Amino acid sequence: MNRLASHATLAAAAALVLLLLGAQAASPLLYTAENTSTGAHADPATIQKRSPGDADALVPLMDDLLGQTGTLALTIKLKDYESAERDLARYSELSRQFDRLVVTLDVSGTDIGEFQRNNRQNLDALATLLNDSRRFEELQRLEIEVLDGEQRMAIAYEGEALRQKMREGFSAYAGREPATTRIAGRYDLNTTPYQQSVEHFAEVADAADDRTGGGTTVKSPLGIAVTPAEGRYGDTLRIAGRYAGGIPDTRIEVYVDSRVAGAATLDADGTYNHPYRIGRIAAGPHLAYATAGRIYSEVATFEVLTQNTTLTLALAEVNRTAVACTGNLTTGDGLPVAGAPVLIRLDDGTLAAAETDENGTYGTVLVLPGGEHALQAEFHAAGYPLNASESPAETVQVRGEGLSPLPFVAAIAAALGTGWYLRRRRPEEEPVAAAAPVPESPREAPPAVEIAGLPPREAATVLFRALRDRLGIPGTKTPRDCALLFPAHAGFFERYERIRYAGETPTDDELRAMEAEARGGGEGAA
Amino acid sequence: MQREAWAVLLILLLAGGAVYAHATTTTEEFSRYNVGWNGTSNLAAEEVRDLGNLPPGATLLILAPDVAFTADETGYLRAFLESGGHLLIADEEGSANRLLADLGSAIRVRPGNLASLERDHADPGLFTGYPVGNATIFAGVETVLLNRPAAVTGGEPLLETSILTWDDADGDGRPGGSETFARRTVCAREGNLTVLGDASLFVNAMLAENPKFIENIRPVLIDAAHSRTGTTNPIINAIARARETPAAAAALAALAVLPVAWRFGRKRDD
Repeated sequence: MNRLASHATLAAAAALVLLLLGAQAASPLLYTAENTSTGAHADPATIQKRSPGDADALVPLMDDLLGQTGTLALTIKLKDYESAERDLARYSELSRQFDRLVVTLDVSGTDIGEFQRNNRQNLDALATLLNDSRRFEELQRLEIEVLDGEQRMAIAYEGEALRQKMREGFSAYAGREPATTRIAGRYDLNTTPYQQSVEHFAEVADAADDRTGGGTTVKSPLGIAVTPAEGRYGDTLRIAGRYAGGIPDTRIEVYVDSRVAGAATLDADGTYNHPYRIGRIAAGPHLAYATAGRIYSEVATFEVLTQNTTLTLALAEVNRTAVACTGNLTTGDGLPVAGAPVLIRLDDGTLAAAETDENGTYGTVLVLPGGEHALQAEFHAAGYPLNASESPAETVQVRGEGLSPLPFVAAIAAALGTGWYLRRRRPEEEPVAAAAPVPESPREAPPAVEIAGLPPREAATVLFRALRDRLGIPGTKTPRDCALLFPAHAGFFERYERIRYAGETPTDDELRAMEAEARGGGEGAA
Repeated sequence: MQREAWAVLLILLLAGGAVYAHATTTTEEFSRYNVGWNGTSNLAAEEVRDLGNLPPGATLLILAPDVAFTADETGYLRAFLESGGHLLIADEEGSANRLLADLGSAIRVRPGNLASLERDHADPGLFTGYPVGNATIFAGVETVLLNRPAAVTGGEPLLETSILTWDDADGDGRPGGSETFARRTVCAREGNLTVLGDASLFVNAMLAENPKFIENIRPVLIDAAHSRTGTTNPIINAIARARETPAAAAALAALAVLPVAWRFGRKRDD
């Protein structure tokens, strides 16, 4: 086959194949198969698998939670506190599972998220009801046993505080019932236990009211006031009062929602002052009272208001696979939110946890696979008087693990090997490439050829070398190679081949003709 | 030189094969000539173009219809259903609603962007469906992997999503805002008429995902006249026509033989 034609054919075939490949260049199927999809469907083989995340457990868990409220409220009403503790522990565990599931499945923005928030408040309310009921029982017993007037008064104050708290607790608990029942109805959940729990709660609160004892009208010598009466996250409220007849340096314990919030010391003028900073505490009404030994103050109330938050997210490359995520969580007033959990959601739904420091700054380093990733920070505000917030989604390009040098080393080695091989072969192949452009040089003077006195076969060899030198053919070429390279002198070279290898002896005429051709004077004869 | 000639011949054969494969296939969605993941070349079904000669008692699949049915064709389908034939319409774009109305069915396809939490793929549109009732096509099937299906209303439900399914109207893959969870029906039937809101179950990439379901519908005829499964290209049409016409096939064979004969004849002359 003609060399030029074969090259042209190969080039045409290559161009055709490239054309066909080019037509498919827009489709990633040829070089990657990841997230292949069209508007109608996706190729499941190319879609990343993920854990189902126990989604099928979500609705049954909601049913269990509603069931637990009924059981717990009933045991509290029956004053079976041992069983109530067990029920509360079970309810808490189920609520934790549910909270995790809501975050994992990313459904906090749905009615299930609303159900979760209501449930968390219900759990807190029932836990408080259990503690308050038990304490109330204890106070009633003490009220009978204690004969001391001041102590009886202190007991009465605390009892009154508890009753007020239970009434407010019930009000809030009952207020959540319509929304919770509506959501439960959507998921075909059994709401009967939950509705019964509201009734039980009401009965417990009513029973406390019915037991209102005497002495509550007596004014306590330990005064208390909260100023201002409401505040937001980060604000500092002043819980202060005067202890009539109190001895200076007396320790005054301050309680918020029946939990110790701090202590103050009575001044020389009989007053105390405790600054209470609003931190992680639920929004809504709260109770405060103080004790000085066995003396209880009256109950003061204050309200914590909700506030919006702002969450930022900044991404910075740490190395080829790690990305540093940093940001700030602040209130609407620009106050940092300290010690708050922040979740960083990756594009595939995976979550990473971080926590803010005292400046409201959080930071964590994530190791990601190569490619572009979208990340978003989220603050869920559980237990804070703050609204949840999300940062704007940020994208980052992760370079991924570096390429292995092995293929490059192999490619370089292959190239070197090929070069070495070609270089070794060049002496044989070179004339092939140079065949066409090597012209004869008629202007050059004919080389001196002296064959006189030589045997005919040796004379023929001298003439062959002379012609070969004149034509510029390398000395490694055989007569046949020379004939192929210079067809115009094929007769000379073929005759010499027979002389050289077949043992023929040239005649004098032949030698003269060969000599003329070797000198360049016999072109026409060739 | 001889070796070079063989190499060229081999490359030409490969290039020819690539050209043939390229020209005789298509990348159109649902096409029977699409050998890619979104084609239906691997679905074992006999193509039907004339609805007037449907065998009684057979199962006819109309997959992703995109051509309107004439009154006569609708009549043929009605007669086919009355004679005991089973008609399975798989559509997720609502194109079948006109035909369903003409057939007197109350079932309708409601296009949307369903997504669900009950899934084991990152794509929220690839999720699990659950057969309900005792339909033959879902016999022995516990779950079905759905691929961006549409909801179906009316009729007797045969396949439902979990309750944690929402219409992802904003396309963000996350439930929220006005998107509410609800159980949706994606397959329903009325007598022998079954409507499936997910034509994607029959594309090549999905056949292995629901093998029992695919097995249950066999043997099946597939409508190639009104469905996107019949999507071809001019070259495929020409080849199909040539195959169906003996004279054209003979002419093509001659075209292939002639250059060879000419080449060998010239060699002898040389």
